[in-house]
Amino acid sequence: MAATCPICILIAAMGGEGGGVLTGWITGAAQREGYPVQATSIPGVAQRTGATTYYIEIWPEKTAQRPVMSLNPAPGQVDVMIASEFVEAGRAIANGYVTPDRTLLIASTHRVFAIAERSAMGDGRYDTGKLFRAARDFSRDRILFDMDDAAKESGSILNAVLLGALAGSGALPIPVDAFEASIRSDGKSVESNLAGFRFGLNHGGGRAELAPVPATPMQRFADEGVKRLTDYQDEAYARLYLQRLETIAAIGDEALTAEVARHLALRMSFEDVIRVAQLKIKPERFAAIELETRVKPGQPYAVADFVKPGIEEIASLLPPKLARAIIALSVRRGWIDRVHFGMQVRSNRLGGYLRFRLLAGLRRWRKHSFRYAEEQQRIEEWLDLIRRAAALDLHLAREITECARLIKGYGDTYRRGLGNYLAIRDRVILPALSGRIAPDAAADAVVQARTAALADPDGESLAKTLAAFTASLAALPQAAE
Amino acid sequence: MERSFAKEIESLRLKSGEIFRGEGILAVTKALLQSGVSYVGGYQGAPVSHLIDVLVQSQDILDDLGIHLETCTNEASAAALLGASINYPARGAVTWKAIVGTNVASDALSNLASAGVIGGALIVVGEDYGEGASVIQERSHAYAMKSSMWLLDPRPDLPTIVRCVEQGFELSEASNTPVMLELRIRACHVTGEFVAKDNIAAKVSRNSPLPDPATFNYDRLAHPPATFMQERLKLEQRMPAARKFILERGLNEVMPGDLSEIGIIVQGGLYNALNRALMNLGLSDAFGNSRVPTLVLNVTYPLVPEQLSQFCAGKRAVLMVEEGSPDYIEQALHATLRKADINTRVHGKGMLPAAGEYTIEALTRGLIAFIRAEQPQIDLAAAEAAFGQALETRKAAQALIGPNLPMRPPTFCTGCPERPVFTAIKLVERDVGKLHVAADIGCHALATFAPFSLGNSILGYGMSLASAAGVGPLSSKRPLAIMGDGGFWHNGVLSGVASSIFNRGDGVLVVMQNGYTSATGVQYLPSSAGNRLDSSPGGSDIETTVKALGARWVRRIRSYSLPEMVKSLREAMTTAQKGLKVIIADGECQLARQRRLRGEEAAALKSGARVVRTRFGVDDAICTGDHSCIRLSGCPSLTIKPNPDPLRTDPVASVNSGCVGCGHCGEVAHAAVLCPSFYRTDIVHNPGWWDRLSDRIHRTLIGWLGGKAAPAPQPAAGE
Repeated sequence: MAATCPICILIAAMGGEGGGVLTGWITGAAQREGYPVQATSIPGVAQRTGATTYYIEIWPEKTAQRPVMSLNPAPGQVDVMIASEFVEAGRAIANGYVTPDRTLLIASTHRVFAIAERSAMGDGRYDTGKLFRAARDFSRDRILFDMDDAAKESGSILNAVLLGALAGSGALPIPVDAFEASIRSDGKSVESNLAGFRFGLNHGGGRAELAPVPATPMQRFADEGVKRLTDYQDEAYARLYLQRLETIAAIGDEALTAEVARHLALRMSFEDVIRVAQLKIKPERFAAIELETRVKPGQPYAVADFVKPGIEEIASLLPPKLARAIIALSVRRGWIDRVHFGMQVRSNRLGGYLRFRLLAGLRRWRKHSFRYAEEQQRIEEWLDLIRRAAALDLHLAREITECARLIKGYGDTYRRGLGNYLAIRDRVILPALSGRIAPDAAADAVVQARTAALADPDGESLAKTLAAFTASLAALPQAAE
Repeated sequence: MERSFAKEIESLRLKSGEIFRGEGILAVTKALLQSGVSYVGGYQGAPVSHLIDVLVQSQDILDDLGIHLETCTNEASAAALLGASINYPARGAVTWKAIVGTNVASDALSNLASAGVIGGALIVVGEDYGEGASVIQERSHAYAMKSSMWLLDPRPDLPTIVRCVEQGFELSEASNTPVMLELRIRACHVTGEFVAKDNIAAKVSRNSPLPDPATFNYDRLAHPPATFMQERLKLEQRMPAARKFILERGLNEVMPGDLSEIGIIVQGGLYNALNRALMNLGLSDAFGNSRVPTLVLNVTYPLVPEQLSQFCAGKRAVLMVEEGSPDYIEQALHATLRKADINTRVHGKGMLPAAGEYTIEALTRGLIAFIRAEQPQIDLAAAEAAFGQALETRKAAQALIGPNLPMRPPTFCTGCPERPVFTAIKLVERDVGKLHVAADIGCHALATFAPFSLGNSILGYGMSLASAAGVGPLSSKRPLAIMGDGGFWHNGVLSGVASSIFNRGDGVLVVMQNGYTSATGVQYLPSSAGNRLDSSPGGSDIETTVKALGARWVRRIRSYSLPEMVKSLREAMTTAQKGLKVIIADGECQLARQRRLRGEEAAALKSGARVVRTRFGVDDAICTGDHSCIRLSGCPSLTIKPNPDPLRTDPVASVNSGCVGCGHCGEVAHAAVLCPSFYRTDIVHNPGWWDRLSDRIHRTLIGWLGGKAAPAPQPAAGE
């Protein structure tokens, strides 16, 4: 039967990934086979990582007269949708370029996180679960696997794997050797590109399965907590952890206990200077660096750690009285935010190692330090809030537990997180515990406030949310009257 | 520095009968050579940068043909370059990105068009419109109309584009008028083929120069009283001559069709999309055999009234397919038909959208409305159902996926020297409060996207400082203007710096000196370390220039030294000293640098020379997943990964293998006092004996102290 319409191929990629190279390979192969082909793109600026597309039409018959081919893709009129990343595949689906009657979707399932996902204060990652469903529901057929991984495994680049998957799909009337010839005629990195191509070709039938989320039982957290705190301080400290956890376990809610087990271990292993020094010289750390930087055995490398403790960090190691005096003085003089001791410590060289080693050795002193005293008091207070809330409503108790998530990091980040936590405590949690609002409403308010606290670093969202909540509190008695 | 166009250059040498294969803009370049141009110039900008880029690397072809190439410093100088064709029978072509380039060029263009040309003058404008565009959405058409220049908008296939270039020169000469050739983004990048002709050496060229200057002729000056005569010439002679040429040479194309009661008039550039939309309705096939008679306007200005009247006469209605606003052609069509007393109904805007790119979807929708209104007997049920089905599917997909798919705006390259400057601005804002940031055109405009989100206005290329001139006196804080070296030389040096000093302005200007116009594809500019003509340094220098203009407070700071940058910015914002304060942020474009370094490093590694590679990393165990570092950087290689700690859920920051070791993340961690999780690794390749020995000593000593217990396995002998 004579063809009536070209084969339409849309490629979604990110700037700097070489989508143009992939396009060139495909058009080159089509030309080699004598099929009329046209490609175009909207590359725009030369910068990296912006989403962009390439569009190809191939007339599936050898003909002397050149057909009129389109420069734009149209919704519902794409035969092969190629996406170099999974959210880009999702974008193509949402734009109507993947339809069940027509489209073969070839996409890598790996993620390159977008700026909004990366810069979120907590976990801003997009949930791709929906995309797997959309890929299944909206494509005629699909080839989905982690092609980034495949590229690394085959020592190649992602584009070569995509091309292999396209060749293996049989969607185009182009034989495999024409694609290979296309790669060869480029003359650049031919062998590695062919390796990736063959990987894609052989895995063209690959299907990605949704990995089940592993269960996170309470016992695992508790065991991990004991291990960590023993390493962090000593066995006695780990016992204190278990004692504290038992007071929560006694409430009898496993989910609550599991979450407290997790957060309590993190809170009790607060990151002071001693802890950082300890982590910086762990043998596991250097093993991880060697693996990540692909250092060959015996190859020399130097690690320089960027540390910049401030007055507060240093003072927090001193006994509470002295530390308070120093901090008070520094605040008065305006040193507290300005005076820091920046250094680059070469931690796999003897001098740097010794510096960290000495600091890590202060572990035994920690229990006398100002920071320790402060943290223990805050932890006890937090556990007390959880216990009191649990008597009212387990949901509220779980949400209060989760607020520990706000307190993390160092310096400014730590202070901001702690400040946010205290604001939520004073303006939502304490009124709830004093019976001024219904516990379920309070639980919702805690969730909202926590989300707001993680929405922006300037605290604007949190301030707004808390103000709205306080206003609604003030309105309550009137409404009741 | 630039990417190599070796393959493309080969295709410029093709001889008569050989098949050219390549992109649209390269086809235009070949067509210029086939047309016997004497000189070529332009200013870079997507989507036409490659025209000049390729010629820059084709010096031997240019030498053979005696063609002069001018890499102009802005579009005004490119337009003025065409002044050579006013007095001399020399063909010239220039190129730039529209609408912005045409705006900048318009003063010279007005004068050029008024005086008229005797040598063919062609302006290739990359119409940056629709998806992928980076500038304001306006039409070049207005310029053609107001200056009486002719505007070609060829069908986007290579033979037509090439024919329009060649006939464009002839049209220009036949009517003594400069001709604009407009190519949309996708048409510039469309691939295809055409049968090449031999390149032609011009009669007047560098190889056969004019013996004497033109004799004095006041009529060739755009100066009164000649201008009054020239205005009449445009209307009475040049326009009629152009229309005659367009008709006689068949520049516009009439595609026949059996539905003779209706017709479509379309801008050439939209023809392919229109045909696909007609195919969707079963009214055309893949080879353009349309049932609806179609007039394809490869020349959109001037229109030829007789041609329009003749096409429309006897028809119930026509559909005018004209992209963008205002609808100049549609208005002209109405007037033409009214004057000719032809009662054919004209549809256009209304059935088709007033704004935005004419995609196949938009055209299909418009055609359905047109056919329903004017040819209701045609059964579109099946076509409409298929179209509706596609849109319903999209709706269902959107409903499933939801509106929160993360956006992916472009951002600074990994290691870009401009990133640290914006980090510094954010840090300074913590001290002095929010600033008014006057943004500009160039890579640095990417700071308007997350995570920086800096910039209150963009007024054009090199205009940032000028756009802050009225803000400063009305504000309690100094405004901060950002400008690239590209913008500085394009316009900013006069519009901004000289004007500010002349007016005793008190603002702050940051000039990003990265050595190239990078956003347009890394071209040289006056202050580049290199030059395409010779490799000698000693071009123009920004620091010397601003000082010569009278700037007293000037600092040149290495872009990557964050603390110094923060200090200088703070000082510039707070010093009691009045007057313009200029900070030159000095750091070579990383895109250009990496292109150069990658080759050098690979060669060094291969030759066995000692190479130290630097990479940055984040300690998983120490990172608590707050991502402040990312909010202050946005580096593509500074990303996130699942937290390996079973107790934590927030993802940790992570440096991926794209890291080029610029050191910014370490500087940020220090300057913003973030967290102690950043580290730098210097890996020694091809280590010398001293590297090996000292490494072994340190490993052993640390091992004794109970650190990394076992020294790493030693390489086998001979390695």
